[in-house]
Amino acid sequence: MIQLSLYKKLQANHGEMILDIDIQIQSGRLVAIYGESGAGKTSILRMLAGLFHPEKGKIIVNNQTWLDCSEAINLKPQKRKIGYVFQDLALFPNMSVRENLLFALDKGQKSDIVDELISIMELHKLETRSPDTLSGGQRQRVALARALVKQPDLLLLDEPLSAIDHQMRSKLQDYILEVHKKFQLTTILVSHDITEVFKLSDHIIVLENGRIQKQGSPSEVFSGKNMSGKFQFTGDILSIEKEEVVHIVSVLIGNNIVKVIVTEEEANDLSVGNKVIVASKAFNPIIRRIG
Amino acid sequence: MEWGPIILTFKLATVTTLVLLMISIPLGYWLAYTRTRIKPVIEALISMPLVLPPTVLGFYLLIAFSPSNFFGRFLNDVFGLQLVFSFEGLVLASIIYSLPFMVHPIQSGLSNLPPNLLEASFTLGKSKTVTLFKVLLPNIKPSLLTGIVLAFAHTIGEFGIVLMIGGNIPDKTRVASIAIYDEVEALNYGAANFYSIVLFGIAFAILLTVFLINKGVFKRFWG
Amino acid sequence: MNILKGEITEIESQGNLSLVKIQVGQTVLKSIVIETPATSNYLTRGNPVNVLFKETEVVIGKDINGHISLQNQLLCTINAIEKGKLLSKLTLEYNSEKIISIITTGAVDQLSLQKGDTVMAMVKTNEIMLST
Repeated sequence: MIQLSLYKKLQANHGEMILDIDIQIQSGRLVAIYGESGAGKTSILRMLAGLFHPEKGKIIVNNQTWLDCSEAINLKPQKRKIGYVFQDLALFPNMSVRENLLFALDKGQKSDIVDELISIMELHKLETRSPDTLSGGQRQRVALARALVKQPDLLLLDEPLSAIDHQMRSKLQDYILEVHKKFQLTTILVSHDITEVFKLSDHIIVLENGRIQKQGSPSEVFSGKNMSGKFQFTGDILSIEKEEVVHIVSVLIGNNIVKVIVTEEEANDLSVGNKVIVASKAFNPIIRRIG
Repeated sequence: MEWGPIILTFKLATVTTLVLLMISIPLGYWLAYTRTRIKPVIEALISMPLVLPPTVLGFYLLIAFSPSNFFGRFLNDVFGLQLVFSFEGLVLASIIYSLPFMVHPIQSGLSNLPPNLLEASFTLGKSKTVTLFKVLLPNIKPSLLTGIVLAFAHTIGEFGIVLMIGGNIPDKTRVASIAIYDEVEALNYGAANFYSIVLFGIAFAILLTVFLINKGVFKRFWG
Repeated sequence: MNILKGEITEIESQGNLSLVKIQVGQTVLKSIVIETPATSNYLTRGNPVNVLFKETEVVIGKDINGHISLQNQLLCTINAIEKGKLLSKLTLEYNSEKIISIITTGAVDQLSLQKGDTVMAMVKTNEIMLST
């Protein structure tokens, strides 16, 4: 169980923002912190890792106090059992792939774990390569493997797949799910990508301007309720146009624009830029082979 | 014609560079990562030798090291160190004089590294020292090399400060730049030319090396 | 989106599909969903649910006496008609709840629908979504 309460004034792009959160996370969960960039997501991860200090707050992980501002307890990053995958991955350019993993070993720790991780992440062929020569997806796997060498309790992933193309993404999501289960990790993932959050996490915390707006299971959070529509996508509203007694809403879903008819009342509740769910019964769509 | 002043020059430059390296790595590390408010003050102090005439520095060091002053007497009584007109004094003066040439490349090398490298190493449980030597320094090799070469070359080129606090004692403080001045005053142009040509050649070779390194020519040996 | 409140009265499942009956006012509505009580815990008899259906999927019938396959039939009064060139919006009242239907203006004229008329609003079983 992780208990987290943090308070800090942050300097955001649009001025001052107060990060004020209180979260409890059950062990073994894969939790996503979802929100726009600048909502304070990365700050939370950095505070968990001990790289950034809140003004007030407490972090208790499995009954061990990592931080308690009122008692002046503040464990150094080195003492916290975490694996941190940075957004830019932070692989050490002066070391080969294998050396990056070996570097992460604790004093006296056997190097078996390195071999195991190399095999799980399928890094055999890359072992002697320098990180600079790897593709985005490969670097991602190395960073994930390196973060797990110390066998942490808590895995922190900062926008782990943001720099990777769509095809590679789903493969890497599978790796994340695999190690999360295999090593019985508690994983906290920061992302602004709904599809990623949907696929990976079993609990979502929605952060808006430094505060928790809502939390719950992915379907609870993103549909507001359980909807039995199986044909469901999230997207952004591009335009709303009135057409006689109805309104036509154009929604960008992935790279496609779809148009949805809504009534006046519904249109009044929507505006351009809103994130929306587009859902239909699975009975309606037709499928035709195109290749 | 004798090699004494040339050898002395290189001995001075080597010792100065080694000591500077030991001082500048921690200092550069501190400057690169500190958030203290007095950082600009420290940076300005370190950079002073870049703008001050060497004679100013030499003059104050001469006063400070003089056995007739408290500090000089203290050094002499407690450590048996006599810094005026001695090789040790020259080393100390050279260190201060060449400090910015070593600290600046190291500091900017470290500042230009992605900050996450340091933090990643911390989250992997590694101490600041291990992080510095295993992660940070290996990734700023060109900066280190630039610092070493510049400090070395700059020490070779010293004149004013050496003259002020070293004087002209053969095999102790009579470095090449002083010897040239001395020979010219004695209208001994042949000897002056010899020292000058040697210095010219060496300085050129050193600077050429630096620029080649910065162009990445040696990258495959260092990277 | 039309939203009516109801209560699940019966669930019949076959494979991944369930036919759910929902009591709404005096009428029982039916919805077919790709979910079963095993995969979705909201599918429980007695559970309150919202019945959702799109305005454009509401069929209007007047003086119906023949046979028709549409299972969900709600007897409504027309409260307002807003006519466009191609499409018209009917505001209906069922059991003091509002239902909106969007049909073609041609259909409004053909049925000569008037404010105050009693009509049958009908929705296909596969067009009804459930939410909690």
